[in-house]
Formats: sequence, structure tokens, C-alpha cells
Amino acid sequence: MLTRIENWIEQRIGWRAAWEAIFLRKIPKVNWLYTLGSASLFVAINQIVTGILLTLYYVPTPDHAYDTVQFITYELPAGWFIRGLHHYGASAMVILAVLHMLRVIAYGAYKYPREVTWTSGVLLLLVVMGFGFTGYLLPWDQRAFWATIVGTRIAGTPPVVGDFILRVIRGGPELSEVTLARFYGVHVWVLPAVLLLLVGVHMVLVIRNGISAPPERGE
Amino acid sequence: MAEDRSVSRRSFLTVATVAIGGVITAIMGIPAVAYIIGPALKKQSEQEWIPVGRASKVELGVPALFKVKIQRKAGWILNEQELSFYVLTEDGRDFIAMSNICTHLGCRARWVANEGIFFCPCHNGVFAKDGTVLGGPPPRPLDRVEVKVEDDQLFILGG
Ligand code: HEM
Ligand code: FES
Repeated sequence: MLTRIENWIEQRIGWRAAWEAIFLRKIPKVNWLYTLGSASLFVAINQIVTGILLTLYYVPTPDHAYDTVQFITYELPAGWFIRGLHHYGASAMVILAVLHMLRVIAYGAYKYPREVTWTSGVLLLLVVMGFGFTGYLLPWDQRAFWATIVGTRIAGTPPVVGDFILRVIRGGPELSEVTLARFYGVHVWVLPAVLLLLVGVHMVLVIRNGISAPPERGE
Repeated sequence: MAEDRSVSRRSFLTVATVAIGGVITAIMGIPAVAYIIGPALKKQSEQEWIPVGRASKVELGVPALFKVKIQRKAGWILNEQELSFYVLTEDGRDFIAMSNICTHLGCRARWVANEGIFFCPCHNGVFAKDGTVLGGPPPRPLDRVEVKVEDDQLFILGG
């Protein structure tokens, strides 16, 4: 019965080839360091799920942002858990992506034919940092506010264009409700869209090129 | 033999992956459901006796409109809400109180003094002085509110 359902679906959408390409592909003999990319992907999925849950209650305006975060953390069932997963997941994400990159560097896995995989990875790391920067402001408490004052000031340090960059990021000369709204928009719409696109490219290339074997002496 | 072992290794890993995946999904999924339906499960806040005005103000045999403000919190905002209801007494000793929310679809019914009825303008619902339905679509009498009098002070039970 189960096989008949499987075949019925297979004949119509041909998922078996995709399944085999993703999960049953041939890989060289590798070690645990090769799981760091998958670990990053796992945390990325965690961030997406918990992030969507947080938007059910979070309101990105100065008069509600702080209160909604308190409401989530202290009044909703499991709110502390969902927020905690998203909060610590953000740090795990940065750590795992960096470790993954270090593994790629150490093994020389960025070389031909994987330069585009590498480049998409660099962009992914920038996206991850963008998530961290925009997400940090959202709780709208003292730490969020002053950290973003500092962060946007740093962005404003380049000569000539610095002040313009600072104004674009803040949405004006001051950190305000405009800043909060645009950080939220970037955090929940712009960056996830870019992340999904880049992860897609990254994974297609990893599967297409196969992963590199650990380098050996005398090669 | 080697062939056998590689097959069992694969099926072991498949089962382990599905099992661990299931556990992770449950760890995420159960709190997520609680988190989503939380506000729907919240009990109405405790009912308490709210003072609303002087009982001697109520004319015998004529429903009198009372309004009180109460504080309610649905989520993270403390809102002021107005409760309004009619108080009726025939003898100055026994009091009844009725919500003015029409039992049909929630419009406000009002007392029409010269006809001696409550009238709801939304779909022409008509109620008698004591709240029983006289005409129109309302399915049941106006909802009663618990009321008591202490030292000429009227209280209703609400929250
Ligand atoms: C959101 C962050 C990222 C995710 C989800 C991700 C995911 C993955 C996954 C699942 C693999 C398969 C092999 C493995 O895990 O080692 C992989 C390979 C690779 N990644 Fe990433 N990655 C991320 C960030 C990066 C970064 C920051 C770089 C470097 C700048 C990078 C460069 C590469 C390269 C070159 C490969 C091919 C490795 C090989 O063939 O041995 N990735 N990535
Ligand atoms: S709501 Fe009052 S008659 Fe319909």
C-alpha cells in the first residue's frame, strides 16, 4: 500500500531523483568538521521557525516593542523558550558559520571548482551578521538602544560618505521609531529572502560539485 | 556479509534520523502550540463587586442606565472599558440589573420610555421592561448582571 502511494506520487512529481541527489549522494570519507555546514543550516531553520512565532506577538513600534517582548517572555506559555531559542540561536548561528568557514579555509575547500560556493558562503556570513545587528535593536531596551547607537556610529565613520550611511541606516540623523521599523523590516523580510536565496545557491552547488575530500600529504 | 552490514547501517541511520527529528519536532512543536493558543486559554479576570452608584437614584418601575469604567488587559495594553447596564426595581428593595447588549448580535438596546420597551435599532429587536423578548430576532432575554445593595450603594458583579 505504502509503495503504491509512493509510486503514485513518484510518477507525478519525480521526487525520488531529488531525494537521492540530496540524501543518498556519494561523498568522500570525511570527518565531523564536515557537519558544521549542516549545523548552520539546522540553526537557520530554528531561527526561521522561532522568528515567525515571535512575530505573532512582537510589535515594532517604540510604544509597544518593549512591552510585547516582556509579554512574550513572562506572560505567554513557553514564550521564554521560543524567545530563548531565537536569542541563543542567533549567537550559535554566527559561531557555527564562522567555524564552518574556518574548516573550508583549513581544508582548502574554497579552491576550483568551488569558488562560487565560497562566495555565496561569504555573502551568507554577511547576512548572518546583518540578522544579528538588526535583531539586537528589536527588544527596544537600554542595551538594544545604546548598542545600536554605537553600531550605527561605527557605520558612520568612513570619511565623506559616513554621515550619509549613518542617516540611511537610522532613517534620519537620530535613532528613532523610523530606525526600529526599518530594522524590523530588514530583519523579517529582506534578510530572510536573501538568506533563502543564498542557501539555495549554496546547497545546489555543494550537491552539484560534491564535497571535497580532506586534503592528504603529498597532493 | 559486508553487503548485509552496510544495508543495516543505512536503515539504522534512517531510523535514528527520523527518531531524533521527531523528538526535535516535538520539543519545538508542543511549546509552539501552547504559545500560539495561550491567549485563547486565558481565563477571564476575576469577577468582583463594582460600586456603580446610589440605589435611591433608581426610579420605581423605570429601568435606569448605569455606566462604569473598568480596566481590562487583553495582552500588553491596559485598556479602559465601559460596562453599561440597566437597573430596575419595582419596590425599592429588590433590584435586577440587565446588560444593554442585545442578545441577537451585540448592538446596544435602549429604553424607550414612552413605549415602555427596550428597543434595539440594528434589527428591530424588542424587549420588555424585565428583559424578556417581545419581538424581533433576539433569541433570549437580556443577560442579567448580578446586583446587590449595601447602605444605598449599588454594586454589580463584573470584571
Ligand atoms: C548560513 C550559513 C551557512 C550555511 C547554512 C552553510 C551550509 C553549508 C553546508 C550544509 C555545506 C555542506 C558541507 C559542509 O557542511 O561542510 C556547505 C559547504 C560549503 N560552504 Fe557553507 N554554509 C554557510 C556559510 C558558509 C560560509 C560563511 C562560507 C565561507 C565563506 C561557506 C563556504 C562553503 C564552501 C566553500 C563549501 C564547500 C565545502 C566542500 O566542498 O568541502 N559556507 N555549506
Ligand atoms: S443586534 Fe439587536 S436586533 Fe440584531
